[in-house]
Amino acid sequence: MTSDHARRRFAEAILPHLDDAYSLARWLTGDGTDAEDVVQDACLRALSALDGAEVEHPRAWLLAITRNAAFSWLTKNRPRDLVLAGGAEDAETHDGALPQCAEASPEAALIEAADRRSVEAAIAALPIPFREALVMREVNGLSYREIASATGAPIGTVMSRLARARALLIEKLGSASQ
Amino acid sequence: MSGDEKQDRALFLQADFDMELDAAGALEAERLLSADSSANDERARLEALRRTLRRHAARETAPAALRARVLAQIDSANAQTAPAPRYRSSPPSWRVFGASMAATIVVTLGLQRLVGEFTAPDRLTPSIVVGHMRGQISGQPVDVASSDRHTVKPWLAGKLPLAVTVVDLAAEGFPLAGARIDIVGSAAVPTLVYKRREHLVSVAELRPELVNYPEAPSRRLVEGYPVVVWKENHRAYAAVSDLPPAELEAFVGAFRQAAAKMRSDAAPNDGR
Repeated sequence: MTSDHARRRFAEAILPHLDDAYSLARWLTGDGTDAEDVVQDACLRALSALDGAEVEHPRAWLLAITRNAAFSWLTKNRPRDLVLAGGAEDAETHDGALPQCAEASPEAALIEAADRRSVEAAIAALPIPFREALVMREVNGLSYREIASATGAPIGTVMSRLARARALLIEKLGSASQ
Repeated sequence: MSGDEKQDRALFLQADFDMELDAAGALEAERLLSADSSANDERARLEALRRTLRRHAARETAPAALRARVLAQIDSANAQTAPAPRYRSSPPSWRVFGASMAATIVVTLGLQRLVGEFTAPDRLTPSIVVGHMRGQISGQPVDVASSDRHTVKPWLAGKLPLAVTVVDLAAEGFPLAGARIDIVGSAAVPTLVYKRREHLVSVAELRPELVNYPEAPSRRLVEGYPVVVWKENHRAYAAVSDLPPAELEAFVGAFRQAAAKMRSDAAPNDGR
């Protein structure tokens, strides 16, 4: 099934991005052990797809596969999370609507004063479509286009999800650390 | 400034913050920022958030154990391709040879049936169902939204090296909603989305060698969703919906009829 060629390319092009894949999976599943399962599954998928496939941007490609593996994993193991945290209605209602510019937006200094625990809790509380956009951008450093192609959403949707995710975090961290 | 304008401006400034603008855009953003103190405050918040995230939610190093497991996995995947060791040196008698041929045929036929019945058809089907579920949950069931097949087909053709069968079923009560590309077993698969009342039907078109779907449509239940799979004209299809199974079968009937009609109408131009 797997050729030497695919194996070598996996080691060269894919393996260096294992940290990225692991970080994304950890934020999507919310758990380190689950993230390991997801990444292992994603690597297996990547390896079998490498035969004959031309991969232009291996990091974005691996992250797209990891993201899909995470969704398969969530569907199988925690379908309830997917529905609750995924917040279909939430995502749908707020997708386009940025918060109407705050009466009292928190000070930048307050946001910076937030501690690790509240940052992690605030990210974990984001609906999945917002969370994945935020993590792909701020943690993995993907471009809008790469996020759009990894999530299958139009670029405008990616931009508004990202804005929405940031606004939610700013709101939460700015008020939590007062 | 209307809500829409405000939002467009916020997205524009965000794109500048993310370094996604070209020089002309960046210049315009710079002017906006220098003229507007509220835009400046928002920029300060975004920067503060980014610093906070860098500090508390940075990219993590994958555990060494995971790295080791992945490496072992690659090695074992490779080992499977190694030739099986040879173990027989003397030529077998004809009788033994005949018996072993017969046994091989029986075992092969049995295995083929087993593989056909169980493994192959459903190995990829769950991914197709997951694609459908994700589309519904995310509220983003299509990458290109259009009820016009002359829009959807070229869009797919621009993304994938395939001539995808796109039929218009509005008259049968299943208007086209658009299409998306699902990842099924790491392959990009074109998926059409049709509407029925508030329900969606996803139809994935697969390379026929990937699956062992029967020629006649066959219904199964995957993750609680009815799925109808079939193969025709060198293509394999899987249709998923949360519609009642009977309606999904009606959809498949209409789809196949329209596809057959399209083939006979435009045989020389259509497809591969």
